[in-house]
Amino acid sequence: MTTPPPSASEPALLEVHDLRVHFPITRGVIFRRTVGQVHAVDGLSLKLATAETVGLVGESGSGKTTLGRAIVGLLPPTSGTILFRGQPFSGRGTARNQAGRSQLQMVFQDPTASLDPRWRAGASIAEPLRVNHIGTRAERRERVSELLEVVGLSPVHARRYPHELSGGQRQRVGLARALALNPAVIVADEAVSALDVSIRAQVINLLQQLQDELKLSYLFIAHDLAVVRHLSNRVAVMYLGQIVEQATAADLYSDARHPYTVSLLSAVPVPDPLVEAGRQRIVLPGDPPNPASPPPGCRFHTRCWLRERLGNPERCAAEEPAHQHVSASHTAACHYAHEVPENVRLSTVGPTAEPAP
Amino acid sequence: MSADGRAQTATGDPLLRVRDLIVRFDSGRNVVYAVNGVSFDLEAGGALGLVGESGSGKSVTSLAILRLLPRPAAKIVTGEIRLGGRDLIRLSDREMRRLRGKEMSLVPQDPLSGLNPVLTIGEQVVETLRAHENMRRREARDRAAELLGTVGIPRPADQLDRYPHQFSGGMRQRVLIAIALALRPTLLIADEPTTALDVTVQAQVLELLHDLTAQRGTAILLISHDLGIMARMTRRIMVMYAGYVVESAPTAEIFARPAHPYTAGLLRSIPRVGDAGRPLTPIVGSPPESGRLPRGCPFAPRCAWALDVCWQEMPPLDPVDAVSYSGGPPPGGHLLACHNPVAADEVEGGRPLRPGFRPAPPPEDGLVAQGTT
Repeated sequence: MTTPPPSASEPALLEVHDLRVHFPITRGVIFRRTVGQVHAVDGLSLKLATAETVGLVGESGSGKTTLGRAIVGLLPPTSGTILFRGQPFSGRGTARNQAGRSQLQMVFQDPTASLDPRWRAGASIAEPLRVNHIGTRAERRERVSELLEVVGLSPVHARRYPHELSGGQRQRVGLARALALNPAVIVADEAVSALDVSIRAQVINLLQQLQDELKLSYLFIAHDLAVVRHLSNRVAVMYLGQIVEQATAADLYSDARHPYTVSLLSAVPVPDPLVEAGRQRIVLPGDPPNPASPPPGCRFHTRCWLRERLGNPERCAAEEPAHQHVSASHTAACHYAHEVPENVRLSTVGPTAEPAP
Repeated sequence: MSADGRAQTATGDPLLRVRDLIVRFDSGRNVVYAVNGVSFDLEAGGALGLVGESGSGKSVTSLAILRLLPRPAAKIVTGEIRLGGRDLIRLSDREMRRLRGKEMSLVPQDPLSGLNPVLTIGEQVVETLRAHENMRRREARDRAAELLGTVGIPRPADQLDRYPHQFSGGMRQRVLIAIALALRPTLLIADEPTTALDVTVQAQVLELLHDLTAQRGTAILLISHDLGIMARMTRRIMVMYAGYVVESAPTAEIFARPAHPYTAGLLRSIPRVGDAGRPLTPIVGSPPESGRLPRGCPFAPRCAWALDVCWQEMPPLDPVDAVSYSGGPPPGGHLLACHNPVAADEVEGGRPLRPGFRPAPPPEDGLVAQGTT
């Protein structure tokens, strides 16, 4: 796969180049042997600029969580490089890395699972400070109060245990903990997916407000395409460990070129009955293939509706497609990216041309 | 499609009629009213959506209809649930067992816990068939294979001897739909049927549910928090908050002209493709903890439209004033429980536009814990 181009002239804060994360599949207990590899992330390149949000969408098993974890150093990459401010970053334990590491933080999906139930919220938020020997006890307490206010809670919440907080409040605590070390990048892995609709909107607004105030960069991993569209400057679509399409959010949603992106967009129900009634939907057959044995050629060819319309060209099954440029900031890894009919591209998202007032 | 017409012309009893349903959970230490007087009708072949956040009582309502509430903690305090004229609350457990599966069935949220992991798929479908119909094993097996075929499972005959863990999430949900529809029930209750699935698989399952219920004239009660799914699947939507129905109207009407501040708030809380980047207008605060409801309207503490009366009195669910519609009230009616509805020009902005209006502050005595005192 070729590397998608840098998004703009801006230097990248974080640069992922040809990253691979493979997990061994083992058999046997005493004589453990590796019988295969799950190619969770397989040759992926991505850039993230300062104060930019890149949305990462894809179905379960597409490797988006693995990518996020590899970036913050929670998983060792099999190969490839991660550059943070131009320096190689591996996430593994040297003193120099430790400093870089504090700059990359993660917010997890399930705030109930990511907070220790026996710790008060304040202790969880102070943990990154304690681990890094920052400040005295009193200074840390001060900083915790400050962080709680930044995320829209009050200092009294520091005394609460997770079970005494609502789901939205727990996610705010998770966010406060991620902000404790003044990071430059936050990887938000389905950070709002578990929240109720009205609470989700509050946290989404909070994420935007924090980005404006602190110049944070987000890698926003989610399966909810509407939320990703709302928050992201650029969006990358993943399928079986690879990015299949990458574009600015506006382009991706109005002019998708990869048949997988088109079908994803068409699969999402739109909260408007008039739009729903008039939409054309492309329902993909089957489930995503097993990432342990991805199909040869284009990984999507086994479920591809476009290939079927084009009379099943052999090329899709034989040759891995390179990223083609649709425009300077828009690439799609499909041999026939230019063949996606315009009426399909438009009808999948519905008549959304009405300008925002 | 044709059921819309049927809904308007039907003169007899609706298929499902729920009146003043109150469900109470009693844990010994505290008492929680999960459903506070819910009433609605669902006509044969209709598609009704139940929207609400966690704790709104939507799942409890559906479990009450199926009489599957956890015992002894939960209890139907009062109410009437009629399916095809019979009052379900008065039926014995034995009679209910005969009814479940045959006349009404459930597609649960989590396809893995909905299936028994130690029985093959075939055994589970056959079990349902033979529990209700006098059928030979052989015959039931053939029928089971046929059913798996209708829900789009490839090579159904070969799949009968496989176990749930050998299926993907989407395939498991198809099996559950096959079981739920095996005996052609008149009512299908689907509780967040696609929440555990990926979007492309969700699209398959929704399409399947829609086609099968439409073909067979099965009425569907769909429970979801996803307004997009509601827009696609339902003809009428009922919005629940803290165990109350706060608004009920035809689907198009709910989206075009929400009248309850909570409904309007929900719609302004979801990002739409058309208005990316604009900040959302979330509802402030969080849903009330069950058992800690204010005396009046449970939404008052979060409501930008609150009046003094809202803190004192829960408004009844009444038809919205027909005068405000140019073409008369919508079919089925638009019901609303609100003292101070959202005006048409306030829907877009998600806040009151009346000059000088400020939401009424809580009264001195504040919240009144419901049930515990």
